[in-house]
Amino acid sequence: MIFMLNWKIENGNRAMSSTSSPKKPESIGIWSRINSSEQPVFLYISFAILIIGFSASSEYFLTASNFINIASQTALVTIMACGVALVIITGEIDLSIGSNLALSGVCASLFLVHIADNWLLGGVAGLVVGATVGLLNGILTVKLRIPSFLVTLGTLSILRGLSLIITDTSPVLVTNTTYWKVFAEGRLGQVSMPIFWTIFVIIVSWVLLHYGVLGRQILATGGNLAAAKYSGINTNKVKVIAFVISGVLAGLAGVIISARGHSIRPDVGQGIELDVLAAVILGGTSLFGGKGKIYGVILGSLIIGVLNNGLVLLGMAPSLQLTIKGALIIAAVALGRR
Amino acid sequence: MLEGFDSPHSSQRTLLEVSGIEKKFGSVQALRGVDFDLLSGEVHGLLGANGAGKSTLIKILGGIEKPSSGTMNVIGSNHKFMSIADSKAAGIAIVHQSLSLVPSLTVAQNLFLGDETLKYSFLLDSASINQKAANFLELYKFPLHPKQIVADLTFAYRQLVEIGKALIKDAKILILDEPTSSLSNIEKEILFSAIRDAKKKGIGIIYVSHRLSEIMEITDRVTVLRDGKKAGSSKTKETDLSNLIHLIVGEKKTVDNASSPLKENKVTSSNEKVLEVRNFTNDRVKNVNLTLRKGEILGLVGGIGSGRTELLESLFGIRKINNGEILLDGELIKIRNIQDSIHAGIKLVPEDRHKFGLILEHDIEHNNAMTMAETLRRNLLIFSHIRSRRYAEDAVNKLSIKTSSIFNFMSELSGGNQQKVVLGKWLHANTKVLLLDEPTAGVDVGARAEIYEIIRQLASQGTAILICSSDFDEMFQLCSSFAFIRDGDVSQVFESSLIKTENDLHAKLENREWESSNV
Repeated sequence: MIFMLNWKIENGNRAMSSTSSPKKPESIGIWSRINSSEQPVFLYISFAILIIGFSASSEYFLTASNFINIASQTALVTIMACGVALVIITGEIDLSIGSNLALSGVCASLFLVHIADNWLLGGVAGLVVGATVGLLNGILTVKLRIPSFLVTLGTLSILRGLSLIITDTSPVLVTNTTYWKVFAEGRLGQVSMPIFWTIFVIIVSWVLLHYGVLGRQILATGGNLAAAKYSGINTNKVKVIAFVISGVLAGLAGVIISARGHSIRPDVGQGIELDVLAAVILGGTSLFGGKGKIYGVILGSLIIGVLNNGLVLLGMAPSLQLTIKGALIIAAVALGRR
Repeated sequence: MLEGFDSPHSSQRTLLEVSGIEKKFGSVQALRGVDFDLLSGEVHGLLGANGAGKSTLIKILGGIEKPSSGTMNVIGSNHKFMSIADSKAAGIAIVHQSLSLVPSLTVAQNLFLGDETLKYSFLLDSASINQKAANFLELYKFPLHPKQIVADLTFAYRQLVEIGKALIKDAKILILDEPTSSLSNIEKEILFSAIRDAKKKGIGIIYVSHRLSEIMEITDRVTVLRDGKKAGSSKTKETDLSNLIHLIVGEKKTVDNASSPLKENKVTSSNEKVLEVRNFTNDRVKNVNLTLRKGEILGLVGGIGSGRTELLESLFGIRKINNGEILLDGELIKIRNIQDSIHAGIKLVPEDRHKFGLILEHDIEHNNAMTMAETLRRNLLIFSHIRSRRYAEDAVNKLSIKTSSIFNFMSELSGGNQQKVVLGKWLHANTKVLLLDEPTAGVDVGARAEIYEIIRQLASQGTAILICSSDFDEMFQLCSSFAFIRDGDVSQVFESSLIKTENDLHAKLENREWESSNV
């Protein structure tokens, strides 16, 4: 359905833009459209293929409850992918989100246990820790001019170490029931809270990137750093803000995880950055910056989610799942952007 | 006296002969039956206004374009129309501005790049490469050392390496396309002595330049193209500057354009000072005093490396200012960064638009909107697509940017239209002072005229404009006054009435007495 919808939009755009130009050639080959990284058509195709494939091999796959399942399993990835996408569009990268998630979640939980047993303050504490980490990443990248790949590779390790130190490597229990409800177990109508938070994040980042001045500045910064500077954009500020947003969203993911499990382990979220990065890149975001769409990020996350879910349903061993997932991601990216 | 011209004509062989060359690009006839020949050991100057067909002819010689009709004979080659590979094999080498050297390698390694001498058939024989390079450099008297790293060389020396690369591969015909446009006077002399040495070895050189004084100095013969036809050809000894200008500009245009209307086209400025710069000093410019009046188009004349680009960048807040005052509309302003100057109303159109001006893979609307957040300082959270589109449509209409839609990517536009977008992104907010660095670099003739018209219009609306350009013809056409800059030092300002021809600019630039202080 999404596939069809997009075709219509695309055709609509083309029709609109061509009204003012009788001389512009109308026929643009279907392959050039599919291959243009601006319209990740290939993404929809691979998404459709995955769904068809899994539906054919598992009768449970194509059920409503399974899709709700996929959505809540993917929630964390989607939330963080929105933030990481912004960072990547500015031409930087954030590898520290998995560790940031753990540290923020741990801090939120410790806050609830030791300082104030208040769900709101606990949640805010998690977000503040996440934001601080993002700020640190951003400032190190911008001020010391260390490539963000190295900065966040370093903080990835530092943050993981920190969360192990402050918890003495043991899990932290969360007993605040309101906190559980607000961030994980509650419902708004039919929507479970992780899905609600995901939708909230999607809407905010969609508006920010596609309807906000900041979004334009993020795109310009990644598109051509020098030209953005020469146009008066404070590119350092833009980058730092993107890192902070990514940090806050990793913090939110940490809070959700600690609420969902009623406890949090300091080693949680190891390797989740790979799923997040895969989702962002699959979604058509350019690793070189300057290009990216939130709907692409959502689709990318869903593909990762469907893949994880489908492979489990097929009864594959986790080792095989990892292997197949990696291979499929490479294949999808290779075919999608050429 | 011209050196090397005493060699008797009879001993020179013809290296290259083309006749009746025609070239059509779509409906545009770029060349209409051009004859051209080149002898061994001669420097043949190729002259003409922009769009006269010089670059098309060069491209045909280099095998980059195929002529629509005509014949072409290169000695030692029986190809009629050549491909790039044929042209190289026949010994034709075009030395481009865009250099094809590897900066991290030495001179010797660059000279023998892809043609290295090997030891035991797989090890690089550095000693032998260095020795061969040294012999070669000695032979042509190039002031280079084989072990110098190319990255450490100045532009002129890199160009020598480039020429050396061509000669070492047995090029018999060298085509130098505007070789001095970015060289200082001393560097030019280095290049010229290399050219004279190559000439003595029997190499034929086609020398393309806008700079008539150089043509008079270095060439043995000149051919002038005009409107795709040969306007004239003669020995350099037997012609003079005014004759050449006459040939370049043409009969009618000398009367119509070159004398009065050009001057009338120029916008007359009022006496209202917009920008005043006092004792402006930083690492690249020293003690600059400049005044820009409302509607004035001031040309900043100077070679590359003279500090002209740096002065513009400093005014735009890119470079730190150590000392001095900037007054805008009589008020002292502080420029610490680009945002400051933009908010004050000082805007820069940079020299390299691909690097600093635009985002090639974004559309016109995005590029145009890049400056909106800063210039409008409103609606900081939510971006108005409607307004952004309106501004983009506005820019497209006002600057007559040729595109079917504002959602077309920049990479689909021609150089001229790209440049218009870069200009346009500054025009939706108050621009008091517009700094233009090479405003028509890589822009075709038609769009060039349109950009001139835009610049004049902006000036007549009261914008103060500071231009620097390597194209003196352009400066001559646009500017109402000139300032000369050398080594970051700006001399006094001349009214354009004192500058009668393009060559006055050259003369003023080259022969002026540079005083340490100017009042």
